[in-house]
Order: sequence, then C-alpha cells, then structure tokens
Amino acid sequence: MKKFILPIFILGLPQMLNAATAATQLEGGFKVGPAIILITILCVFVLVGIIFRAKDTNDFYAAGRSISRTGSGMAIASNWMSAASFLGMAALMYGSGYHGLAYVVGWTGGYVLLLILMAGQIRKYGKYTAADFIGDRYYSQTLRATGAIIAILISISYCVGQFAGIGLMFKWILGLDYTWSVIIGGSVVLVYTLISGMLGVTKNMQIQYVIIIVSFLIPLFILTFKFDYFWILPQIGYGSVVSDITNGIQSAGVAEMVNSMGHSFAITASPEYSMPWDPATGKTYFQWMAIAFSLMIGTAGLPHVIQRFYVVPKASDARWSVVWGLFFICLLYWSAPVYSAFGKILSAHPEVGKLSKDAIVVYTAQLGNIHPLIVGLLAAGGVSAAFSTVSGLLVAGASAFSHDLYVKVINPKASPKTQLLMARLGTVAMAFIVTMIALLQLGLIGQLVAVAFSLAGCTIFPLFLLGIWWSGSNRQGAFAGLIAGGLISIISITYFVAGKQGVVLPFHDFISYYLEAWYFAWIGAPLAIIANIVVSLLTKETPVEIRKFLIEQVHS
Amino acid sequence: MVSEKNDYHISFFRPTTPRALHNRNMVLWLVSIWAVAIFGFQIALYVLEKPTPEPELTAFEKVWENVKAGNASIDEIKTFAHSTLHVAGKVFIASEHRAALDNGISWATMQLADSAQKVAIGNALIHFEEATSNAKLVTDDHYVTSKLKLKALVQPVIGLQPGTVLSEILPLELNSSLTEVITEENKAIIEACMPLYTIHNRSVLTDTKFLGFPFHYFYTAVFLLILFIGLCYAYCVRVDAYNKRMSIAD
Repeated sequence: MKKFILPIFILGLPQMLNAATAATQLEGGFKVGPAIILITILCVFVLVGIIFRAKDTNDFYAAGRSISRTGSGMAIASNWMSAASFLGMAALMYGSGYHGLAYVVGWTGGYVLLLILMAGQIRKYGKYTAADFIGDRYYSQTLRATGAIIAILISISYCVGQFAGIGLMFKWILGLDYTWSVIIGGSVVLVYTLISGMLGVTKNMQIQYVIIIVSFLIPLFILTFKFDYFWILPQIGYGSVVSDITNGIQSAGVAEMVNSMGHSFAITASPEYSMPWDPATGKTYFQWMAIAFSLMIGTAGLPHVIQRFYVVPKASDARWSVVWGLFFICLLYWSAPVYSAFGKILSAHPEVGKLSKDAIVVYTAQLGNIHPLIVGLLAAGGVSAAFSTVSGLLVAGASAFSHDLYVKVINPKASPKTQLLMARLGTVAMAFIVTMIALLQLGLIGQLVAVAFSLAGCTIFPLFLLGIWWSGSNRQGAFAGLIAGGLISIISITYFVAGKQGVVLPFHDFISYYLEAWYFAWIGAPLAIIANIVVSLLTKETPVEIRKFLIEQVHS
Repeated sequence: MVSEKNDYHISFFRPTTPRALHNRNMVLWLVSIWAVAIFGFQIALYVLEKPTPEPELTAFEKVWENVKAGNASIDEIKTFAHSTLHVAGKVFIASEHRAALDNGISWATMQLADSAQKVAIGNALIHFEEATSNAKLVTDDHYVTSKLKLKALVQPVIGLQPGTVLSEILPLELNSSLTEVITEENKAIIEACMPLYTIHNRSVLTDTKFLGFPFHYFYTAVFLLILFIGLCYAYCVRVDAYNKRMSIAD
C-alpha cells in the first residue's frame, strides 16, 4: 500500500502547500490540497477493500462473523456516522438552534432501546438480514419479501442524504457542479462496495472511523484555542460560545480575533439560538418531541444497523459492541454542536452572506482561518462519513435484494456465484436510483435521512419489538401492523413529495405539521404496534415451533 | 426449562422464567430512566418556561406608536433605530423581515441627520451601493473604502460606539430607496416581526449556567449522551453478571 501512497504524497506536496491561499475561498475553484487528501483516502479505501474482499456469500453478508467487540463498535460508529452526522447535524443546529438537538438526542438515545430490547436477541436468532428474521419469525414468504422491499426503500432513502453530502463535499473540493459531484462520488463508492463486500467494508469502516473522528476533532481544538475558549475539551469549552451567542459579543476587543474575511468575532445577542423551541426558528415543542421519539425508534429499526449484530461471534459481543459503538458515536455527537456555535458567530456578519447549511462544518473551519490542508482533511472526513454509511447501506440493500428476494422467494436453488452476482446487480441498481433522487435536492441531509428513520420506525421496529418480546404476535398481526405503519408512511411521504412539487392536497397544513416526513413515526409506530397486537389476539395463535424457538434459542 | 403449562409462550409483561423476569425488571428500570431523562426534562422545560422579552422589545414598544404616527422625538427615533438594528443583526432572520427592518433603519438614519449630513449620507450611500454591485469580493478596495466612509458618517448620527457589532452592520442595513418613509406594508411587518425575534421561552433551567452552558443546553447536548452510554454500560455489566451467576453461556 505504501508503494501507492508515498509517490502520491511526494508528488502532491508542493501543490498542497501552494494551495493554501486558493482554499481560503468559501466557494468555487478546484482545491488541490484537499483534492489530493481526498483522493489518497479514497485510494486507501479501495485498496483495503481489495485486500479484505469477500470470498463467498458468508463473507459478503456477515463478514465471516469474525469481528471483535471494539472493532464492531468502531464499525457501528463508522456505519452510523454518516454525512447526516458529520455535516447534517451541525447544519440543523446552525439553522434551527436548540431544535437541532432533537436530532442529537434522537440519533443516540435510540441505541439504548436497540441494546436493551434487541441487540443480543437478534444475534441469538442467528439470521443474516432483517427480512430473514421477519420471514422466519412470522412464517411468511410474503412478509419476507415485503421486509426485503422495505429494507431496500429504507436503504435508498438513507442513501439519498449521503449522496447529497458526497455531492456537496466533492463540489467544494473539486469545484465541479453538484450534479457531476454526485455522479463521480456515487460511482467511486459503488466501485469499492462491489469490490469489497461486507468484509472489506467492515475493515474499511474501522479505518474510516479513525479518519472521520480525527478530521472532525482537530479543527475544534484549533477554533477553541484561537478564539480563547477552553480548548483542552472543546466539547465543554463551547458552552461559553453558546452563552456568548445568547448574550451577544459587542466586540472581540482583540485585533487577531477575526474571521477569514476580517470581521470581528462579535454577534448581536441572539437567545433564539439556544432557547428551546424559539418562535424565531419556526419550530415547536411538539416537533422537538416528535423528532426525538421518531429518530429513536427508527434507530432500533434500521436494517443496516440491525445487520451489524450478525457480524459478531456471540450475543454478548453484540451487546458490548453497542456500548462501544455508542461511545464512538458520541465523540462526534458531542462535537458537532461546536461547529454550529462557532459557525453562527463567524458567519454573523451580513457580508458573509447566506451559506449552504449542509456545508457549515467546512465553512466554519474556513471562516475560523484554519489551515486549508486541515480544512481539506475535514472535507475528506465528511466524504469518508458518507462513504462508510453508503457502503453499509448498499450491502444491506443488496442483501435484501439477493438473499431475501431472489434466493428465498424467486430462485431458492441459486448457486453461491449467482447469489453474489445478484447482490452486485442489486448494489448497482440501488446506487443508480439513489443518484437520481439525490440530484433533486429535496431537503437538508439530516432531514432526508430522518425520513428513513421514520419509515423504519413505522415498519421494521414494531415487527422486531413484538417478534422478539411477544410470542403471541402472529403473521396476521404482522400484516396488520405493516399496513397501519405503511399507510401512515405513504400519506406522509405523498404529502411531502406533493408539497415539493407545489401541489396542495386536502388538509395540507394539518398533515404537513403532524405527519411531516421527518417525524411521522411518532404516531405511525404506536399505531402499527396496536394493530399488530389487536389482530394477533383475534386470529390463530403463532405455531408452537416458532414459540419454542423463541423461548429456547432467543430468550434462554 | 419451560414447563408444559406455559406451552412455550413468551411475553415481556408476563415472564415465565427467572431470567425473563430479571430481564424484564431491568429493562423496565432502564427504559423508565431513559424516558424520564429525555422527555421528562423537555416537559419540565415546557411547563416552566415563560415568554420573556428582550430589553430591545420593551424599548421598541415604548416608541413604536409615535414612530408609526410620525410624531416621534429624536430620542424615540434613536431608540427605534437601535432596537430594529439589533433585530436585523440577529442570527435567524427571514429576508422579508430584514428588508422591512432595513426600511425602518434607513428612514430613522435620515430622520436623525441634519440637512448637511443628509446630503453627505445620501451620496455616500449611493456610492456604496454602486461599489457593492460592482464588487466581486468584499475585500475589493473600492467597496471597503466606500463602506468605511459611509460607516463614519452614520455611526455618530445613530449614536453608536465605533467598533461595536451594531456599528459594523449598520452600513449594510441601509437602502437609499427606503429613506423617505416607512411603507405601511413594512410597518405591519416590523410590528409583527419584532416580538417574533425578541420574545424567548426562558426559565430557571435556561438562565442557570453550568460549565459555561445554559443549563438546559448542557443537559440535552452533553449530559444525555453520557447518560445513554451509562445506561448501556450498566445493562451489559448486569446481563454478564447474571449470566455468569446462572452459568449461562452465550
């Protein structure tokens, strides 16, 4: 690997150093240094993917079940820390203040549910995919196929936000337009997912985690040090930044404390940034609660997250990998608000103009006069975050297509070679669909990803929750729950898409507020659970072999 | 392990084995702590909060009727200019609201200037607007010099200290086509948007400081995440301990 990286580094070094001034522009222009960093990182990903590539279907789906607790925790964190976490979360807080913290809480609190309600039991159930579990537990090929289709839809919805993030970062680094940036970035991630499968992906995820977290943290130490806050622990030091935004900074008082455009580190008192559900942000208490709840139950229902528990050797490893994963995730989630707080002050002057919220992490580093190469590393970290998640999502989607739809429903006699081919075809098809949707730019990255969470919360989560914890939940109940959750999902997404197209449907304001696409699971999930329970109680009992398996294998 | 009586039924709320009972109790405890910590705190925030205006809104409301009627004194116009400029400089401001506030600020600036200052400011403003439309970067010399000239003229008129954040943004909030009157439409917008940006939901939880943070912000952004890790850690330790005690292998 050194043979490849060293010449790239040596050849690129002069350009990287000369690029220092070019990269200080907030927009436009090809940035040589950051581009070389990005290309180097991508080469490392592809090489690691080749070295650890899947040799058979067992490797492709579940990495040979050979990953350690810490390694799996890192992979969980890397898989989780997507463009939505790296770029989107700071964007949400930058754009709506305290409201954005609902996403921080929602995207971390869900892991508690996932751990105590599902992780160990899922591993004990011993299946490859979410649809596998649904098909076996509810003894229905139709439900297996439906589960697979839902898993694919969730993966596509989740990937759209990631491709948007990749597009933004490629646009910033390469100076290309958004369309080409999405196409190029999407092609690269597709190639290496195809080459590597999940074993390579899991190895890559561990490397990606290190790159993501290092690139994300370095600028924070510099920003807090430069602007005279408690820099030893920026995740605490930025508390004073939040208070300064709330109370205002009349003048920095120190000539050096300026942003890269020469504006003083000052801001008008803006309590609306930190106060809960402030009218100025246009967000309400109900929305805060609905988002937090929807994201939490969505976390416990995401196929690509659930699937990670299949790659650890034992149930206890599955449990501990969640603890490690959550710790690694929180390192980033404690840090993201720092960017939005500094970003608010550094971009407060009207001359800075309106910035793309989803790129505020990078803009904040630029406005904070951080060295362009470090900003370049930060942007490359953003791409890594998106890549790590997309690769996991593509594998989950491809698994659903190949394993759950093709092998289990369409062609049970398919050879391993055919299965692998179908998985790869599924990956290509998904990447193509995601690219097309990402080009429409339907919302902020974090919001687009939140749609996937609500969809998972309304459909997969109730099936897993009741499937594991109540043997009384039967096939008919599962169908009823899926219909209830699916109906809410369809209504919400229809109104969302219609609204984006300028079409006003009946009860538009009511539906758009109470069933907004980012949080419709707040009602969809409870309805699905109730429907499942009621119909299960009214229909024929779950077969004894399923109940026996549950009690002897899953809960013993 | 399973008696014939229960016939392989499993239910979270009606555990049939000692392990299931242990697990249920632990899960109920953890989920209760989790739910109260997250939603209980937000409910407390909601219950305790009081809409609290900023001092700028109080000052604005004292002078607004006279400004609107066109019979405000010099001091009242100055107060009006300061309060609207304060809102125009906020971090969340809709563009249509900013345009209306700019109308108020531009009008107030000219009302406060004497006749000689009016001519000088008017010329400097037009010059600055030309420089703005021609500038490619905010560092262009022509743009910077015309902005500094305008700033030097308007700062004393409004009564702002040099170097303060409001004095820095003032030139950018002026519009030469909006200096004569505040339009009726913009008066309505100003009246509606001033409370929107200057009334906040505050309580003892938001006004208490902890490690530099407003307490509620620290709780939600930092503490809750620590709690989540703690809950997960406690669960794993207890499950492992129970499995060891009962000689259960994974």
